[in-house]
Amino acid sequence: MHISDGVLSPQVWISGYVITVALTAYVLARKTDTSELPKLSIITAALFVASLIHIPIGPTSVHLVLTGLAGITLGLLAFPAVLVALILQALLFQHGGITTIGINTINLGLPALAVYGLFLLGTRTNIRGKHGIFGGLAGGMAVALGILLLSLSLLVTGEHLKDVIPFVVVAHLPLIAIEAIVVGAFAGFVRRVSPQVLKNGRVSSNRQICRTYLPDPPLGPAGQAGRYPWSDLLGGAHH
Amino acid sequence: MMAMVGLAVALFLVFISRIPFGFVLKHLARVSIFIFPLCVLILFTYHQGDEIARFYFLTVTSGGIEHACLIAVRALAAVILIFPLIGTMRFDVAIKALGKLKVPNKLVQMLIFTYRYIFVFIEEVQRMFRALTSRGFTGGMNGRTLRATGRLIGMLLVRTLERAERVYNAMVSRGYEGNLGTLVEFKIGGGDILKAAILIAIAIALNVF
Repeated sequence: MHISDGVLSPQVWISGYVITVALTAYVLARKTDTSELPKLSIITAALFVASLIHIPIGPTSVHLVLTGLAGITLGLLAFPAVLVALILQALLFQHGGITTIGINTINLGLPALAVYGLFLLGTRTNIRGKHGIFGGLAGGMAVALGILLLSLSLLVTGEHLKDVIPFVVVAHLPLIAIEAIVVGAFAGFVRRVSPQVLKNGRVSSNRQICRTYLPDPPLGPAGQAGRYPWSDLLGGAHH
Repeated sequence: MMAMVGLAVALFLVFISRIPFGFVLKHLARVSIFIFPLCVLILFTYHQGDEIARFYFLTVTSGGIEHACLIAVRALAAVILIFPLIGTMRFDVAIKALGKLKVPNKLVQMLIFTYRYIFVFIEEVQRMFRALTSRGFTGGMNGRTLRATGRLIGMLLVRTLERAERVYNAMVSRGYEGNLGTLVEFKIGGGDILKAAILIAIAIALNVF
């Protein structure tokens, strides 16, 4: 899914950088608090490592991309997460390229944002097993959209790369199915085991986890919002 | 032609930074797996200039060979240039330098943290796969493997969130307020600026000619 250095024209990879910088700056400035960074980064590291898992196909193997998974667990924050993962991948494993970090972030990060929206909509419906189903859809769609964007960036670079695109698309088709199954299984599993992982774009904090597990406090007198006996100890901000 | 000069410059930089060539070659072999298929594709699909060879429906033209070589050389040169960067400096110092280049603090911190935890999670994933294998799991291209992998990643993230919470609390209790203090400092000297200027000049020269 990565484009290496030297393939794309400067116009394409430079505009890739411009868009990536703008989007990352927006997401990091608006959507993250500095106190969330350690958690966001640790999750990014876990996703990075998970994407190193290889699935054997016949004589060769493919590695997972997991952009869809990043989308449904991190929401908008998936974009900077993809950027960080690609920078580290370029520097540590020499996959992809330095000049193409920008365009690769777009090709992988935008689908993550798109499927995050899809997953949010899907989990509001009343279908049985919706997390598994829409998780799978998100996983597959993210790869499909990624291939689309990848083909587009090759096409924009020049006519001479036009004939390469069908090969690239066909080579990635199995990955769509693989990711759909993996991410679907992931979403269904996590939904049962620890739903706050799918906390829809917020890196959950202790407080949110407590809230997930505690029932609502009993109603106070005359229908006022109730209080737990220990609410005062927690500074009242807890509920 | 200029691409070859670029490759030569990159190799020369590896040489003067005293990184063992064996190390570089080992990594290049792995990277070539990514570059090679694309070059083969371009070789057969780019038609320009004289036709050189033809097997059934595949034709190779001189333009195609030229273009495939150009892309291969460019990609190799770019990859080789990474080695002097990461091979001569501690990685955390290099990332600190990014901060000096006005890369936003939040991004720099994300890079440092993520880098630090990648190795923790590689071990964790290996441990989880060992546990799976000891319960009779064999990988393969089937739905069972894929679903097991999905659940494994789910478990990894569940543990990760708990770990992230613990790490964060530990950091706050040691005085973390949104800024990373590290023991290593990045210092830039006159010599560094001179070297950087020479390299940039070479890069521009390669572009102009």
